[in-house]
Amino acid sequence: MLPRASCPFVGGRLMLRLDANRSVTFCDGLTRRDFLHAGSLGFLGLTLPEFLAVKASGAVDPKKDVNCIQLMLVGGPSQLDTWDMKPDAPASIRGPYKPIKTNVPGIEISEIFPRMAKHADKFALLRSVYHTAAAVHDTGCQMMQTGRLFQGGLESPNYGSVLRFEKGARGDMPPNVLIPYMIGQLGGNLPHGDTAGFLGKAYDPFVLNADPSETNFKVPDMLPPDYISAVRVDRRRDWRQMIDQSVKYFEESNQDAKLMDSTFDQAYTLMTSAKAREAFDLTQENEEMRKRYGLNRFGQGCLLARRLVERGVRFVTINMFETVFNDITWDIHGSAPFSPISCYSELVGPMFDNAYSSLLEDLSRIGLLDNTLVLATGEFGRTPRVNPAGGRDHWPQCWTVVMAGGGVKGGQVVGSSDSIGGAPKDRPVMPSHVAATVYKCLGIPIDKELKTPQGRVVRLVDHGFDPIDELLV
Amino acid sequence: MKRCKYFLPAALIALLAASYAGQAFQESGNDATYHQKVKPKAPPPGPPAEPVNYPKSALARIDILPASIALVGPRYSQRLVVEGTFADGHQEDLTAQAQITSSDGNIAAVDKDDFVQPRADGHTTIAATVEDQRASASLDVKDYSKIKPLSFRNDVLPVMTKMGCNSGPCHGAAAGKNGFKLTLRGYDPETDYFTLTHQALARRTERMEPAKSLILLKPTLTIPHGGGRRFLLNSPEYKVISGWIAQGMPAPEETDAQVTAIQALPHEASLRPGAKQQLVVTALFSDGRREDVTRWAKYDSGDEGVATVDNQGDVTMHNFGEAPVTVWYQSHVAFSRLRIPFPYQLEETVFKNAPRHNYIDTAILKHLEALHIPPSPTSSDSEFIRRAYLDAAGILPKPTEVEAFLKDTSPDKRNRLIDQLMKRPEFVDYWAYKWSDLLLVSSNRLSDEEMWSYYNWIRDSVAQNKPWDEFVREIVTATGNTVENGAANYWVIHRDPLDTSENMAQAFLGITITCAHCHNHPLAKWTQKDYYGMANLFARVRLKTFSPSGARAGIGPLFNNVTVYSAPTGEFTDDRYMTVLPPKPLDAKALPETTPGDTRIYFAKWLAAADNPFFARSLVNRLWRNFMGRGLIEPVDDLRATNPATNDELPDELVRDFTSHHFDINHMIRTIMQSATYQASSEPLKENAPDDKYGSHYLIKRLPAEVLLDAYSQVTHEPEKFDGYPAGTRALQLPDTAVKSYFLNAFGRPARQQTRESERTSVPTITQALHIINGDTLNNKVRAPDNSIDAMIKRGLSDEQIVNDLYLASFSRYPNETERAALVKILHTAEQQKTSGVDDMRRNALNDMLWAMLTSEAFMFNH
Repeated sequence: MLPRASCPFVGGRLMLRLDANRSVTFCDGLTRRDFLHAGSLGFLGLTLPEFLAVKASGAVDPKKDVNCIQLMLVGGPSQLDTWDMKPDAPASIRGPYKPIKTNVPGIEISEIFPRMAKHADKFALLRSVYHTAAAVHDTGCQMMQTGRLFQGGLESPNYGSVLRFEKGARGDMPPNVLIPYMIGQLGGNLPHGDTAGFLGKAYDPFVLNADPSETNFKVPDMLPPDYISAVRVDRRRDWRQMIDQSVKYFEESNQDAKLMDSTFDQAYTLMTSAKAREAFDLTQENEEMRKRYGLNRFGQGCLLARRLVERGVRFVTINMFETVFNDITWDIHGSAPFSPISCYSELVGPMFDNAYSSLLEDLSRIGLLDNTLVLATGEFGRTPRVNPAGGRDHWPQCWTVVMAGGGVKGGQVVGSSDSIGGAPKDRPVMPSHVAATVYKCLGIPIDKELKTPQGRVVRLVDHGFDPIDELLV
Repeated sequence: MKRCKYFLPAALIALLAASYAGQAFQESGNDATYHQKVKPKAPPPGPPAEPVNYPKSALARIDILPASIALVGPRYSQRLVVEGTFADGHQEDLTAQAQITSSDGNIAAVDKDDFVQPRADGHTTIAATVEDQRASASLDVKDYSKIKPLSFRNDVLPVMTKMGCNSGPCHGAAAGKNGFKLTLRGYDPETDYFTLTHQALARRTERMEPAKSLILLKPTLTIPHGGGRRFLLNSPEYKVISGWIAQGMPAPEETDAQVTAIQALPHEASLRPGAKQQLVVTALFSDGRREDVTRWAKYDSGDEGVATVDNQGDVTMHNFGEAPVTVWYQSHVAFSRLRIPFPYQLEETVFKNAPRHNYIDTAILKHLEALHIPPSPTSSDSEFIRRAYLDAAGILPKPTEVEAFLKDTSPDKRNRLIDQLMKRPEFVDYWAYKWSDLLLVSSNRLSDEEMWSYYNWIRDSVAQNKPWDEFVREIVTATGNTVENGAANYWVIHRDPLDTSENMAQAFLGITITCAHCHNHPLAKWTQKDYYGMANLFARVRLKTFSPSGARAGIGPLFNNVTVYSAPTGEFTDDRYMTVLPPKPLDAKALPETTPGDTRIYFAKWLAAADNPFFARSLVNRLWRNFMGRGLIEPVDDLRATNPATNDELPDELVRDFTSHHFDINHMIRTIMQSATYQASSEPLKENAPDDKYGSHYLIKRLPAEVLLDAYSQVTHEPEKFDGYPAGTRALQLPDTAVKSYFLNAFGRPARQQTRESERTSVPTITQALHIINGDTLNNKVRAPDNSIDAMIKRGLSDEQIVNDLYLASFSRYPNETERAALVKILHTAEQQKTSGVDDMRRNALNDMLWAMLTSEAFMFNH
């Protein structure tokens, strides 16, 4: 199909061009590149002239903003078997794994992470995190993704949604993405804090809903079928809007209706963005690269996250697992339907080690590590004393969070736990402190006040919780 | 997240850090503990943006809360509240303005804080005066000279619970704290007594010198305490504990009086923005005694935007709406519903004249009136027919059915439509599907033969309108071959007593007990003993199986030809809990430990009983949710005591109706659909737009995945082909959610792995939008040769007629003049527009218009 060098505005609205792949200058001097950006203005809430003005002023320079990749280590890694080893504790506590040296003298981590040990200069270990809410997965998910426990009917937004709310999108790329699926059954029915909560569903992340390790992985349905031309795509979109004139009150009174409209807008945006399509195309990476990350859902998810951040996505959440039931995860209670402690060396450890190390290596190599906070955490730690089934149970009283990039000073340990890893000994911090640190890296003031639909004013991070400055450069 | 309430001097902080791992005292909401000098955790919301000018209203009456006071012994006092009701119906806490006196100062006196203090045995009255209104309360004092020792169970433990000593983050944690472990919120006084008096070299309680007890030194921060200062020296808390120690630390006895219920007053009130309302909480004991426990109860607001409550039960009202304030004391829960009615100017007759078809409307309107939220007018016939078909049978009405209904002028046509709908086979399909969701019917856990057996049994039960109690009882006690007895498949899916226990609770009682697996439930009263006691009811179920027919990863082998039976004996224990507990349904009476026989029968009797507080309630709540879009209690699998319904009376009335009609589901469906509440328009009025839970208007909801797919097939006349099923099988007729369908997964079909209502979602996503814009499913139906568009073209219909028919098929109504004209106009233009090489421009234009209709919100939502 030949591109038409005509004015891109048809009947007052920007026509979708799905096929232009030659450099084209339109009658009013706009280049194709600008035009492609223009298709996505819905994200930014700008019109074309505004966008051009802002672009000229440099306000949307991607290099100034800090991105974030949050790795949710669903199940809750045991601190004693991963990043806070206690080799001198009795056998009933220290577990089966031995510590190994890293490339930073004085810092040792579990033998299950040999590759990660070569990058200790890049990450910081925060070994004194704790919380005092119920020791279930749901509460940990809430707190590690939003900084807060959900109480009194208030569902706080997660970091990515706040970032989107504050800074909008960069060009065509969705500002916040969740890979690969939302967290599912963790044993409770409380929310997990993986959405925009009271900010409104319009700020929810784009959920991939596909497994990036599958052979024919692609974001499903990104392009119209060949029997529907661009003209028809356009008019379908217009006519749909027209028909909904009769039910305008839906969006005024119902969140889901409002969101449906927004999802259609975002879908059209993605469709017109060659850049977005390319970002999600893992076949552009060679076999070598894909193997380095690990040919599994988490590994390929991290690779995809790296590509997305390279191309302008601000926040990517990667859920390492979706459920702790009947799956091999960090949740090593030791008996069915949960996981055995041996899975750390057999599956989960290597899975994390390869993906995480590759991610840090790549981000560092590309020069994005300083601009990209990589936050890895579970919902809690695990019991220092090995239980009768040979596993460890939930232990929110003490665990380790791993942070790198985005202003974090690598090669250090902040905080420490007691001799059995059961309680923080020094520099105890709570999820809200971690949240404050994350927001500081992202450049969002922690005392910012957000408003709920009921008019309630909520501070971004609860009063009294400051960023953990020792972690930062 | 609440923080430490006290400012600790720097030196003390250093000391703490050095000796106690610097654990700053923090707590979570549900385990929050309170003390007098609480600092608010977040600034409460301000008053509403536009202050209301309330016209002056005269004080109409006052009441003393509580209305009758009984003080036993010299130790207890009674807090008083004087509640005023004004001519316009609003309430105010007038205690501060009231003159409160005792008629006989020798028997009792009212102190300056408005507490009644006993003086001598006898009977008298308390009188209150505000302006020209008077009220009185009766007062009895007895046993004034009998000094009963402080009770560990009823005096000491409640203080410790209130102070948070035994809360989840502190000594009530599974492992306790610093070697001191109490039972979570004091659920086991005997164990706690032993811990306090015998452990730690008995230093926790020093009988000879109570003030030297660790249990007093630490929480007053006389010596370092990781939990910080919990109460002051010589405070009432201190006096209770030290008094009890001085008395020789009498142990809790089996014969102690126990709390049977608590009562929070005022039970409900309509207040104004900024108003303060003190609650009074009374505990009723098994020996008839009543005690004011306001000071020791724990408080929580269900909506802090509307009301916040401090640790003494003093509520501050903020914005319009209603907040149920939860009151907790010794594992009992009560609510006070406090509201600020909306300030709209409404016609007096709005509520009086609103249609009331049955008791549902009476209960809903009563509450709406208290909130001052007017109901929307009734829906149009078009809206009603489409809605009823979708909610009851998951299908759209055909154009001929719509036309007939619209033409019909009989006054009872809606009721007759409901009756007809309930006779259709699609009605049976829809409800069989819904119960299959609940019972997890899927090929992931069952072989094909068994899956069909289960599904067919469910479908037959629906077709016969089998009473719900019978249905459940048959499942719970099922035995025999799983192909012959479909219900027995429940026991193939749930083979582990713990999983069975949890599933029984969730599916049939709407309660989640999972937390109690490892420790006592942090949010409800279920203990770990309850959990394991219940599991023991299912310890004898056995499966006799033959050769495996396959396997599913993570689940295990699938079998054909399974026989379910109950072994005559057998108990359940596991690594976590190795004592055998007598089989016991939750908190009901236990069976003797070695009862022979099928213990499931006992469970079934307890479960499917009219007096089981959760069984009927859970089901009527699920039914309500199906039609109204939201349960009266949400989530529907979380009916715990601390999760209030949005309407006090209605759940009880629905339960009464359900049980008195012998658990007749169809009767409840009919009653709900006949109500004016169900039939109200979905279009909100300005004054009820913010309401999304009190029933002032119908809540629009996106069509569930299967209904949407079937609707697409229905309007296009192009059925969906499912792998392994004959052509023409509708999505709602599938017995299995594992049937491959990208569309159904994207639109939120549940995996049927867990009985959670939230497994099914209807939140719109970009994935869904992309799929209906670009994906195969809808596009193939729209462009298929011989679909409905093709048929209309072949019949020679004009554009106008086609628009008309498509509106009837999709929206169950005629297009209005403007719509018809506009659509016909754009069709004419589009039909001239060449859009690609090959072309049937008319067909393309019509396809595009059909697509636009089927993807509109008007189509995709039920409204």
